[in-house]
Amino acid sequence: MADLTPEDVRRLAASLSLPMIGDDAVEVAHRLNAFLDALGGLGALPLEQGEPWPTRLVGAE
Amino acid sequence: MSPADDDLVFRGAARQAALIREKRVSPVELVAAYLERIDRFDGRLRAFITVCRESAIEEAARAEGEGAKGKWLGPLHGIPFAVKDQVDTAGVLTTSGSALLRANIPSVDSTVVARLKAAGAILLGKLNLTEFALGGTIHFPYGQPRNPWNPNHDPGGSSSGSGIAAAAALCSVTLGEDTGGSVRSPASYCGGVGLRPTWGRVSRHGCFPAAWSMDQIGPLTRTVEDAALVLGIIAGYDAGDPLTSRSAVPDYRAALAGGAKGLRIGVITELVDDADTQAEVRSAVREAARGLAALGGAVEDISLPLIPLAGAVFMALCDSDAAGYHTRWLSERAAEYDQGTRRRLVTAGLIPAAAVHRAARARALIRKQVLEALSRFDLLLAPTSPHPAPLIASHTAPITSKEEAGTRFFGRRSYTTPASLAGVPAISVPCGFTPGGLPIGLQLMGRPFGELTVLNAAHAWEKAAGLCNRHPALG
Repeated sequence: MADLTPEDVRRLAASLSLPMIGDDAVEVAHRLNAFLDALGGLGALPLEQGEPWPTRLVGAE
Repeated sequence: MSPADDDLVFRGAARQAALIREKRVSPVELVAAYLERIDRFDGRLRAFITVCRESAIEEAARAEGEGAKGKWLGPLHGIPFAVKDQVDTAGVLTTSGSALLRANIPSVDSTVVARLKAAGAILLGKLNLTEFALGGTIHFPYGQPRNPWNPNHDPGGSSSGSGIAAAAALCSVTLGEDTGGSVRSPASYCGGVGLRPTWGRVSRHGCFPAAWSMDQIGPLTRTVEDAALVLGIIAGYDAGDPLTSRSAVPDYRAALAGGAKGLRIGVITELVDDADTQAEVRSAVREAARGLAALGGAVEDISLPLIPLAGAVFMALCDSDAAGYHTRWLSERAAEYDQGTRRRLVTAGLIPAAAVHRAARARALIRKQVLEALSRFDLLLAPTSPHPAPLIASHTAPITSKEEAGTRFFGRRSYTTPASLAGVPAISVPCGFTPGGLPIGLQLMGRPFGELTVLNAAHAWEKAAGLCNRHPALG
């Protein structure tokens, strides 16, 4: 997937009513692209092997 | 002050409490000594957001009077403590390190603060942190916190003030909050002892949330004994936090004689040998592993191949939660956030739900790998951080590429977030110093509710290494 540009990020943020101040969009684009790369790479793992429960159940100890 | 020397302020709280009971030190003198140090050093270090000067002096006088009558409130009678400003304190400003909460004065103490006060401790003040405990703050609204070993360097975060105050002896003990390493990182950078308890071991009632499934309050102290002492006081079920465990709380401090003999300790090769781990850190951590083996531990390497993914997985989950908490303020008061926090939260708000779901499933795999390792080993050993405290300027510079963003935000976090993702206890204790005089932290992770094993091994190492007697020269 091509990297998102600051303009892409501005449009996405506006559609979700998220604020963009000054040159926020430039850095947010770098941050978001880093996330998309890293999380996209997780698809190579056997993710179906475990349910995505967030934590051990307290009381189960 | 009797014993009348500077050593008193650096002594552990456990020892200070004994001196108070023996009437060799008075709570009034102890509070005055710390207030004097805050006056001398905190203008530069910026550990404190609020100093509770008058109330601390009054409480100390009351503690002294009660002690004279033989009335001892508890094991921390007359001991001054300070707490991360993320944690509510009745009648005392609680900012979470943000300008948005510059007028927030809670009416009720958080559970952990109430328990420390009930044990006789005296609230000395509220400690600086990265905004909303998220990390990455560029402009600290209450002053730039600085590392006591070198003021040009970062003290770590998010419990920055807790790390500084413990290491610089600005109070007896502190509390921090650790979502992805926020107690352990400042402990590592500042040369203190920082314990992240098992998730559910300590109440979060009255603590501003970052990520509900990982937030955990823990002690940040100068000694392992103090961490054990404080944990024993703050741990346990609390109706105010329905996610706390009902399992019994051991007397951690009394059981500290266990040592490391016979413990099976796995050294996580991905974290020790990774190219990102600086040579001086690798050397100090390997030396500590050899030290634990000399103390009777059975030490061997273990590979946990999913560990390097932990930083990104953690950030996706933590930041998504945080973006949810901040939705309204982000839309109504965006300009009041620090730019680093705002950009982090806005980014999280743009991550696709399917990607967050992948992270949640990856978390389950990482947790499984950590817990399976802990079924073979009593403890897992790693550096707390791949490097000693970086220059403050190194993480306030603009981010100019996605590669830089990944390195800055995910890489370092892969060292502390495995314990957070798995919900297991972990401690950072000093294991050496760089040639430039910056502390290096050793991390030990244990089984769920295995704090006693973690503390015992850390205590044995601390005694053998003798590093807790080294203090920053503040002038």
